Amino acid sequence: MTIRTDPEGNETDALFELVELEGREVLEIGCGDGRLTWRYADRAAHVTAIEPFADSIARAQKRLSEAPNERIEFRNITFEGFAAASDADVFDVALLSWSLC
Amino acid sequence: MVHALEEIHRLLRPAGSLIEVHPALEVPSVEIRSNGELLFSEDDPGFDYEDDLRHAEAAVATVVGRGVFAIDERRRLELRTHASSVKELRDHWAVAGAYDPEEKEETLVRRQDEMYARAKAVLDRSPGAEIAYVEPATMSRLTPSPSVPK
Repeated sequence: MTIRTDPEGNETDALFELVELEGREVLEIGCGDGRLTWRYADRAAHVTAIEPFADSIARAQKRLSEAPNERIEFRNITFEGFAAASDADVFDVALLSWSLC
Repeated sequence: MVHALEEIHRLLRPAGSLIEVHPALEVPSVEIRSNGELLFSEDDPGFDYEDDLRHAEAAVATVVGRGVFAIDERRRLELRTHASSVKELRDHWAVAGAYDPEEKEETLVRRQDEMYARAKAVLDRSPGAEIAYVEPATMSRLTPSPSVPK
């Protein structure tokens, strides 16, 4: 057996109850290895998932190369750097998952 | 953290939403179950990020207090990470937490090792049982205030 995170779907159930993702432009801040990204991305129009730690984002990008998904874009960048280069009013949903502390 | 939340407000469209998830102020636990029966449950003695959680809560409270965001709804949830062995679970956390620059206190590390040793003993005598790390968390939906300039 490999590690299974939230096979019960508690996290995605709560997410889908709280926000409509269909057709939305999503920014995920601190996506880590994309653990959560994969579980909701197919509902969104597009997901920009950013992560400052190279090892984590490398795992996410490796998985994306193995299972391409045009809706997902993983980027190795800090939020400060990303925000500084971004226009206002771009995203419908921002997801700050386990990364505020 | 407050500045980051203000920047998120700028990036969001006026009708957008911020979904914020962070661990609840409760100690995570380790559970072992076999066919649904709970065989082992202990709090993680390595839990040492209560201050970080309080800072996260304070940052959210600050931006809500300033009127940057309003909290619409909150959900409490449990995130469970399942593994078939103590080693598999601890290896997973070693990778996941590798970026954390803070070293745990020696006492906490020893107590954590002891807890996992007890868990391993239960797993070793319970074929087919599964270990899980259980993290209580809070998920909130916040709406950006249209009156705050960008």
